[in-house]
Amino acid sequence: MKAVLQNQLARWGFAIILTILILALLAPLIAPYDPDAIDVKSILLAPSSAHWMGTDGLGRDVFSRMLFGARISLLVGFVAVGIATVIGVILGAIAGFYRGWVDVLIMRLVDVMLSIPTFFLILAVIAFLSPSIWNIMVVIGLTSWMGVTRLVRAEFLSLREREYVLSAQTLGAKNGRLIFRHLLPNSLTPIIVSFVLGVASAVLVESGLSFLGLGVQPPQASWGNILTDGKEYIEFAWWLSLFPGLAILLTVLGYNLLGEGLRDALDPRSAKINA
Amino acid sequence: MPRALCIGILLALLAACGSNNAPPANLDAAFPPESGGTMVDAMSGEPSGLIPMIAGESAASAVASHIFNSLLKYDRNLELEGELAKSWDVSPDQRTITFHLKPDLKWADGQALTSEDVLFTWKLVTDDKTRTPYGADYKLVEKAEAPDALTFKVTYGQPYAPALDSWAGLQVLPKHLLQGQDINNTPFARNPIGSSYYKLDEWKNGERISLVRNDHSVLGPPRIDRLVSRFIPDPASQFLELMADNIDVMNLNPIQYARIVPARPQLNKRIALYKELGNGYTYLGFNLKHAPFDDVRVRRAINYAIDKQELIDGVLLGLGEPIAAPYKPGTRWVNPQLKPYPYDPNKAKQLLKEAGFEDHDGDGILDRDGKPLSFEILTNQNKQREMSAVLIQRRLKEIGIDVKIRVLEWASFLGRYIKTGDFDVVVLGWSLSLDPDQFSIWHSSQNKPGQFNFINYNNPQVDKLLEQGRLELDPDKRMKIYHEFSRLLLEDSPVVYLFEGYGLPAISKRIRGIDNPAPPAGIGWNSEQWYIPTPLRRTEISDR
Amino acid sequence: MMRYLLKRLFWMVPLLVGISLISFLIMHLAPGDITTTEAAFNPKASEESREKLRKLYHLDEPVIKQYGYWLERMVKLDFGNSFASHQRPVFWEKQDEHGNVQKGLIQDALPVTLLINVLSLVLIIVAALPLGVLSALYHNKPADRGITVFVFVGFAVPGFWLALMMMYWLGVAHNWLPISGLHSLGHEKMGWFGQLWDYFRHLAIPVFISALGGLAGISLFVKNGMLDVLHQDYITTARAKGLPENTVVYRHALRNAMLPLITLLGLSIPGLIGGSVIAESLFAIPGMGKLFYDAVLMRDFPVIMGILTIGAALTLVGNLLADVAYAWADPRVRRGVMH
Repeated sequence: MKAVLQNQLARWGFAIILTILILALLAPLIAPYDPDAIDVKSILLAPSSAHWMGTDGLGRDVFSRMLFGARISLLVGFVAVGIATVIGVILGAIAGFYRGWVDVLIMRLVDVMLSIPTFFLILAVIAFLSPSIWNIMVVIGLTSWMGVTRLVRAEFLSLREREYVLSAQTLGAKNGRLIFRHLLPNSLTPIIVSFVLGVASAVLVESGLSFLGLGVQPPQASWGNILTDGKEYIEFAWWLSLFPGLAILLTVLGYNLLGEGLRDALDPRSAKINA
Repeated sequence: MPRALCIGILLALLAACGSNNAPPANLDAAFPPESGGTMVDAMSGEPSGLIPMIAGESAASAVASHIFNSLLKYDRNLELEGELAKSWDVSPDQRTITFHLKPDLKWADGQALTSEDVLFTWKLVTDDKTRTPYGADYKLVEKAEAPDALTFKVTYGQPYAPALDSWAGLQVLPKHLLQGQDINNTPFARNPIGSSYYKLDEWKNGERISLVRNDHSVLGPPRIDRLVSRFIPDPASQFLELMADNIDVMNLNPIQYARIVPARPQLNKRIALYKELGNGYTYLGFNLKHAPFDDVRVRRAINYAIDKQELIDGVLLGLGEPIAAPYKPGTRWVNPQLKPYPYDPNKAKQLLKEAGFEDHDGDGILDRDGKPLSFEILTNQNKQREMSAVLIQRRLKEIGIDVKIRVLEWASFLGRYIKTGDFDVVVLGWSLSLDPDQFSIWHSSQNKPGQFNFINYNNPQVDKLLEQGRLELDPDKRMKIYHEFSRLLLEDSPVVYLFEGYGLPAISKRIRGIDNPAPPAGIGWNSEQWYIPTPLRRTEISDR
Repeated sequence: MMRYLLKRLFWMVPLLVGISLISFLIMHLAPGDITTTEAAFNPKASEESREKLRKLYHLDEPVIKQYGYWLERMVKLDFGNSFASHQRPVFWEKQDEHGNVQKGLIQDALPVTLLINVLSLVLIIVAALPLGVLSALYHNKPADRGITVFVFVGFAVPGFWLALMMMYWLGVAHNWLPISGLHSLGHEKMGWFGQLWDYFRHLAIPVFISALGGLAGISLFVKNGMLDVLHQDYITTARAKGLPENTVVYRHALRNAMLPLITLLGLSIPGLIGGSVIAESLFAIPGMGKLFYDAVLMRDFPVIMGILTIGAALTLVGNLLADVAYAWADPRVRRGVMH
């Protein structure tokens, strides 16, 4: 971690994410209004001291909705990518460790999944399950594990040939021990990096789904659906799109900078370069 | 740095060559009517074809209405008048209608348009092989004949009051071009020949359709030479195009209409706003097979608990009306004695108490027999319906009803919930037809999967009125029947009428001759009289 | 090599069948079919007419049987016709018995999408190479940080938001560029240069937006490749020989750093035919994304299956090409893939 924070960009990224996380966690304390409180007498008010980020089409306070929306957007990112990572690590580990026909089978499954557009899968499943945050998280998770699988498999394949693993194996270490004590801990770096970068993409996917009307259900707020609400008034009610747009931008940027920083710091190759 | 420079140069170049629509002469000056010019509008979808009975979507009918004619049409006050027909008579037993066509009608290709074409079209629409959803009305005709070139006669099994309305809806197709063709899949759909003001000029897939004046038009020449409809799916882009003066006509949403345009002097100078009666209403419908919505007290309570004025203010920014009957406000079918349920939460609570709902367990939510009063409102992806649902959710929560909202994509909504009857409450809309017959929506026989009485409304008295209304051709007697029908409907409250929103067209001030304020039929009724004065025409499109 | 190729090609057949079967099942998992969406809420439309349609399209039969019909047609390379009322061919133009030609849906949409994607890929590479190289040369210096932040901002900004702002700024506020569509109204009457210019003006914002999102991936790829290469022995040797730094960087280092880029480009081939629904809706461009999205919403099964199958086939071919190209370019790997 220390190495990571020595990287300036990663430090910025970390700071951004931490700030947004804290704001999201403290939302109920900070938010000046109930995010769902409707007031048809104050529709689309420009930012003022009463409403820092103005109000939306139903007179709700955008600042409060942004804070609560942060929870949803971040939650969607974390859980979705968490699901993808778990699936990816399990399948990748099996493929990379056992090789042979299991490997072939899993990698062909990866090929199949990569050939079906993610958006189509998401749309079809959401149409079937109906949109809710949980379904959205599950669906994004179920459709984005392929990258992690490939990564972990490649990592395992190369680690398996390392001397310490081979010697552990000849000393009679069980497969489980091999995987959990030797292989997995040493593949952790790329997994963490891909997790962090994955969260960034998931936040963007959520906003895209909202654009298509398949996002989080009303009246719940997410950055994606606040932004979508504002898209028809981009120059008039600019506050309705500017704040969520910036929030998404900063969050995704933060995760990316952090992810790149992690990669730089933890990757032995670039360590050599920095030296 | 060089990159920034490159981009800068590029932008400068683009700017230099940009089509600068310098605001034309004085947009507020008066100009006499004249012919010529091009009007550009935007549509969110592309028609699948231009034979309206086959295509079905609204984009198709919008374009086809400029190309084809029906026997009858509605005038500016929504009364029927002849279009291809000069006159029509109804036989004393009210079963036979005889249409007398105007003389010397011609198709756009110069061929004569006769009663044979009308007969041919009727045969098409009633043919089982024709893939049209609109056959039902015309299948009631027992015998259709064309005794001479100018006479078309239809005989029904029994008097059918909506018949005339149905003949205003059937656009006549040319027999000489379609005979022997498979109507479901004919090149005619993309290259139609009609009889109305315009004919197809060019159809660029996915981009636009342009129509050009039809010199053989049976209704005389229109003033504007060309109509171009661009396909722009996203309403936000459409509005940007309107702001940039690249399109002349667009239907605005309430925020654009009431807030943005008035706040933009530049826009205000160039664009005129109109307001017309809407064509449909939004409602909250109960599944009457599900408890507790089988109890009229619960339905009325919810009706009282919803503040319709708040919905109109919040969702439509005041640009709509509350309704108490499923008819266009201002038409004769509206029963003037009926008033919408007022917003009265106390009365709502009292009614719910009578129905057995009280907060026994003190959790803030009413319950009966240990079951909380809680349900889900389903709606499709429609901004106004979503917002209505959110407002309703809040009001119902105040009287102790727990409501969740689920917004679905259209096909799943219909396939998974409506068709199977697996829903509690929906927020949806019905369009308002000009004929008062609403048999297919409210009659108890129309509740099978895929039919329109999916809320399972069943009132024998209403059934009887709906049956009577179909047989009665006398307008005054008919009016009484539907007034009584509306009264029963309001009393039963199987749906809560939420609002009827206005149509809000914005039209460039270069387009003149528009009837303002809008007559009951809307501003489009005389669009052939609209004109574009030469000094105001777009410079980048030269006329041919 | 030949055997390897054949083996990979052979694998594609069961994979394609698998992909199409999965797609077919998922598609039918979602409720509704074309008859629920067409004229769905028109009180004048009757349920019998919908039943009739359902029968005609075999929608009343079990899914697996419907898949059988579809597969049977696919064997003859017939993608079928759309369920929508225009019944246009899904893939390429067909002639009916009267000699009328109907253009295919994909035939219409593909060139547009391809054009935009190829242009944006070119733009990405043109921008990513110098950015990546600069980043590597000035690693961890302000220039590198600036570039990194810039490309990440491009990735992180929600595309439709930026698109709308650019449409407003360039199209409405300044009237420099058209807002949407592909052709101006007077396009046909322009000379060839005018037409080209017209295309260029219409495509400028869509291509820019699409390139901006993809810039981060490729430029970082180039940067990391360069970083790896710059510390290899042969570069040190070249430097030691006293070759000018430019020659070292561009002749020796960049060439080697670009090797992995070939793989990446191969992998992006299938992406070239997939359009973005969001961008195409906003810019009113009739491309593959909108075609596919509308087909899904309409439950136009033949169109959905057609696009998915072509996409899957291209993905598989793209993967293969990427591997082969890489093997061809790098003899070390060539030996590797044989195993």
